[in-house]
Amino acid sequence: MTGNIALAMALFAAACSVGLIGFHAVDAVGRNPGASGKVLVQSILAMALAEGLGILSLLFLK
Amino acid sequence: MPLVRILALLVFIPASSLAAFASEGRVSAKAELLFHIGPVPVTNAMATSWVVTLLLILFVRWLVGKPQIIPSRGQAVVEGLVEGLRGIFEPIVGLRAMPVAFPLLVCFFVFILMHNWSGLLPLVGTVGWTEIDTATGHHVGFIPWIRPHTSDLNGTIALALTSFGAWFVIVMKYAGPRLLLYELFGNKADKNELPGVMYWGLSLVFLLVGVIEVVSILIRPITLSVRLFGNVFGGETLLHNTSFFPVFYFLEILVGLVQAFVFTLLTSVYIGLVCNHGDDHGDESHGDPDHSDAKEAAI
Repeated sequence: MTGNIALAMALFAAACSVGLIGFHAVDAVGRNPGASGKVLVQSILAMALAEGLGILSLLFLK
Repeated sequence: MPLVRILALLVFIPASSLAAFASEGRVSAKAELLFHIGPVPVTNAMATSWVVTLLLILFVRWLVGKPQIIPSRGQAVVEGLVEGLRGIFEPIVGLRAMPVAFPLLVCFFVFILMHNWSGLLPLVGTVGWTEIDTATGHHVGFIPWIRPHTSDLNGTIALALTSFGAWFVIVMKYAGPRLLLYELFGNKADKNELPGVMYWGLSLVFLLVGVIEVVSILIRPITLSVRLFGNVFGGETLLHNTSFFPVFYFLEILVGLVQAFVFTLLTSVYIGLVCNHGDDHGDESHGDPDHSDAKEAAI
């Protein structure tokens, strides 16, 4: 078994941040269901940026 | 529920029959060479992208037909899509840059969506030539004939460079170099509220922030292309390694949609960051009933 602890940490952080964004997006929609469209756009953007770093490290960390 | 059973069968039959075709489960990160046209090498991703793009153009042309005031069914489908997207992107891009940016954004969304989903069709990535080592007679590799455009890094780089070039042209046209430079390096503090020394100190800070901003703009094509490629290619690898397990198949349908949306949304945000702060507040004023309706429908 081989592994890469830096890669694991990067992916762990990316997964955590995506989960955190989703959690707060659901929270926000629960408080204000009318704003679900706006919250969706913001949260998908933030998720993409957080996940992008994870994928960057997945491809470039060797 | 017979319907559910039929649906499950429809999913399972291609999934299980394709698993027999699938090679060792490893998808090569590089698009494989199929043949040459003259000196130009043609990879399977290129060939697939030509075919899917052609089919997409023909399909939309066939749906719309000859545009009429009272739309036909196909035209209504396309108009619904376009109006829904307009409702999402107009508040982000801003009214001024919208006429130029919107066709580009619709094109990006539909193009990337269809190419992402083309990777989920049966036979994609699973039929092809096997390479056999002539000396030993063993299988050494597998060249699929069909490979989606967005699962090749070259394809997504092309998309990202198109997005970046279009961003530059639109920003130059609708904001101009002066506004762009002010946006990047200019001092946004209010001169009347601050003592002179502090104002000039802040100018230095804004200048340094501008340098960071320029770096972050220059790596946009890289992050855009790698994000799309990583998601689609990762999805392909996942499907091949799990023998097209239905749960992951549905996950990939969702990922294809979300990534197409993210690419388009990021492009529109990049344009809107520079172009969208004039006197037009498209999202605040609900004066135009047409567009607010479209927004509600999109939500």
